[in-house]
Amino acid sequence: MKNLILFLIKNSFFFLFLLLETIAFLLIISNNSYQRSSIISASNSITSSILSFSSNTADYLNLKSENKKLTKENALLRSKLKESNLWSNDTFNIYMDSIKHQFYSFKEARIISNSFQNRNNYLILNKGKIDGIRTEMGVISSNGIVGIVNSVSEHFCTVISILHKKSAIDAKIVSNGYTGTTYWQGGDYTHCKLKNIPSHATVVEGDTLVTSGNSTIFPPGLPIGYIDEINLEKGNNFYDISFKFSVDYNKLSHVYIVDNILSEELKKVKEAKSEF
Amino acid sequence: MNSKILYQNLIRFIVLILAQIFIFNKINLGGWLNPMVYPLYILLLPFETNKNLSLLLAFIMGIIIDLFTASIGLHTSALVFMAYMRPVSFRLINSSKNYEAGIMPGINDLGYIWFITYTFFLIFSHHLFFFFVEAFSFDEFGYTLLRVLLNTLVSSLLIIIIDILFKPIKRNR
Repeated sequence: MKNLILFLIKNSFFFLFLLLETIAFLLIISNNSYQRSSIISASNSITSSILSFSSNTADYLNLKSENKKLTKENALLRSKLKESNLWSNDTFNIYMDSIKHQFYSFKEARIISNSFQNRNNYLILNKGKIDGIRTEMGVISSNGIVGIVNSVSEHFCTVISILHKKSAIDAKIVSNGYTGTTYWQGGDYTHCKLKNIPSHATVVEGDTLVTSGNSTIFPPGLPIGYIDEINLEKGNNFYDISFKFSVDYNKLSHVYIVDNILSEELKKVKEAKSEF
Repeated sequence: MNSKILYQNLIRFIVLILAQIFIFNKINLGGWLNPMVYPLYILLLPFETNKNLSLLLAFIMGIIIDLFTASIGLHTSALVFMAYMRPVSFRLINSSKNYEAGIMPGINDLGYIWFITYTFFLIFSHHLFFFFVEAFSFDEFGYTLLRVLLNTLVSSLLIIIIDILFKPIKRNR
């Protein structure tokens, strides 16, 4: 026993190194798992308050361009108002509340911390449990989709960005209706791959990708990106497609959280289906 | 250890963390390069620092950086590894002077060539550890290695520039 202790003391540098590395790796592993990534900082009030101070300052500096974007969006929405359109035949266009049922609702949120340079990226938003945010809600910006809510604390929530190893989002090619899955390979945060498009489909560079609406997280028809490279290897049944995101993830500051109002009901239906 | 060196290191600790979080974490070139300057703190610790103490300091600093970059454990493990490699680098890199108490690992006392080799070696070991743990696999080996090399170049360059800018005026002996 005495010899063991002497041995430990003599090599304390090495053993302390091993101990600290073990702790660091335990931290990495326990935080890498999908659900527990919340601890990262959503729940840490000190760091999030400092980060929100920093993002407040950055917000102020971005006001001008952000305002421009908002006025543009306002103008677009205004032009869609009933009043600003000429109705040739009103009878066909009147909404009947009893046949219309709202499916998605949106909530505005601000980004507190945003990353895009890592292999797996997360965002933190300033909306949490008290604002009615739940996990698995979609997050979009005015230009396209951003990610999916992963964990929620009292005032904040973390979002798994589309720039993540495990992000897979159904994307539909507008021109021909084929649906594939996105897969981000890391590195360049402006580009991404699209998988599962069969080789008999005709795909053209410049085609727009939108959300398919197959999942209940995102409403159908939101832009995702624009195809800019198509390859087909011999003997392969699927295209190798690369596309450019419609959103610049470096510039994000305001986003919208999508709430699927009927998600509980949909979940129940899915569970009932899986029982057979 | 006299109190002047203690305060110097304390201030360096805080300033480097703030600089990393608020300035260098925002720098991003093409989604590839993300310079890290905070290892400079471990690089500049005095020679006579207790080896175990340097490991603990690396651990604390790594945890703080991690909390702000939402990547708990990543920077910590890499910085602890770097602190472990520091004594190895003293043995490997030759210098004209002996590493004795009173001499600081910096350009002032040991010259440019020694400091550049020393920085390069330790930053490379830090980045090698960091990016492979971040990828957590050897799947994209070449890609990860390229990231390591590019980032090592940029980080080392920045660290050397910072050290030149902030080195104290040479005393006449």
